[in-house]
Amino acid sequence: MPKKAPRLPDVDAIPFAHSSESEFARLLTFYGVRWHYEPTTFPLEWDDQGRVTEAFTPDFYLPDHDLYIELTTKEQRLMTAKHRKIRKAQALHPDLKIRLLSRKDCLALARRFGWRKSTTDNPRT
Amino acid sequence: MTLYDDLEAILLDEEAIQAEVRRLGEQISKDYADRQPHLIGVLKGSIIFLSDLIRTLTVPVTLDFISISPYGTTTPSGVVRIRKDLDDPIEGRDVIVVEGIIDTGLTLSYLIRNFKTRNPASLKVCAFVNKRAQRIIDLTVDYVGREIPDQFVVGYGLDYRQRYRNLPVLGVLKPSALD
Repeated sequence: MPKKAPRLPDVDAIPFAHSSESEFARLLTFYGVRWHYEPTTFPLEWDDQGRVTEAFTPDFYLPDHDLYIELTTKEQRLMTAKHRKIRKAQALHPDLKIRLLSRKDCLALARRFGWRKSTTDNPRT
Repeated sequence: MTLYDDLEAILLDEEAIQAEVRRLGEQISKDYADRQPHLIGVLKGSIIFLSDLIRTLTVPVTLDFISISPYGTTTPSGVVRIRKDLDDPIEGRDVIVVEGIIDTGLTLSYLIRNFKTRNPASLKVCAFVNKRAQRIIDLTVDYVGREIPDQFVVGYGLDYRQRYRNLPVLGVLKPSALD
C-alpha cells in the first residue's frame, strides 16, 4: 500500500509576503513536496558588538531536498542585492543550496500552471 | 493557417527526432539486455515519444500508463490526484518512467515517490526533452533525448493548452501564441 502523504502546512493560515509565494506554496502542496516558509534567517554581517546588521531569510525550505528557495518578482536590474546576499550566505555556509527563482522563472511558472496575473506583479517594496 | 505558423523556430525536425529516439532505444536495449523493462508512459505528453521508443527497443518490454491531474484542476484536498492509475503492480519489476518533457520536476518527483512505495526492483527515468533551466526539484534523469534551453516548446506530443501535440517536429512557440 502507498504510504500516507506527508502532512503539509495550511497555505491559507500563513501570512505570505507576496501572492507569488502563496501560489508557490500551493504548487508544492499540490505535488506533495514538504515545505517550510521562511524557517531560517542567515546572519550575513555583524557590527563591533556582534549584533547582526544584515541577514538573509530565504522564502522556502524543502527538507526532503535540503534546498532553500527564494522567489522574486522584481525586475532583473533590481536583483543585484539579492544575488549578493545569496553569494554571501553561500560563502558563510558552503553546503547551503539555494535556488533563486527570478521574475522570468515566476512568469514561466505562472504560464505553465495558470497563476493569476497579479501573482507576478512587482511587489510595492 | 497551420500549426507551423505559431512556431518561432524548429528545434528538432522529424529526422533529428528519430535519430535521438534510436540512440535512446539502443542505449536502453543495451542496459536491459538481460531484463524485461516495464515502461510507464506519463499521459499525455509521452505518448508519441513512447510509441516511437518501444519500436526501437530490441528487448521484450511491457507497457503501462499513468495520468495525474494537472495543477489548477480542482481537487477536494488541493493535492494531486491520480486520474488513471497503473493497470498492473510494479513490485519486483524493472520500471522505466517515460516522460515527454521534464521541466520543474514536480510531476516526476511526485511519481517517483509514489512508485517507490510500490517496491519496483529498479526505477529509471527516460525523457525526450529535459529543460533544466526551470528545474525546482533536483532529480536524476537516466535517459535524455535532448537538453533544451529555457524556451516554450511544443510538438511531438508536447502541448500548449492541449494543442500542438500532433506536430511531428519539436518547435519553439512564438510569444504571440502564448496568452
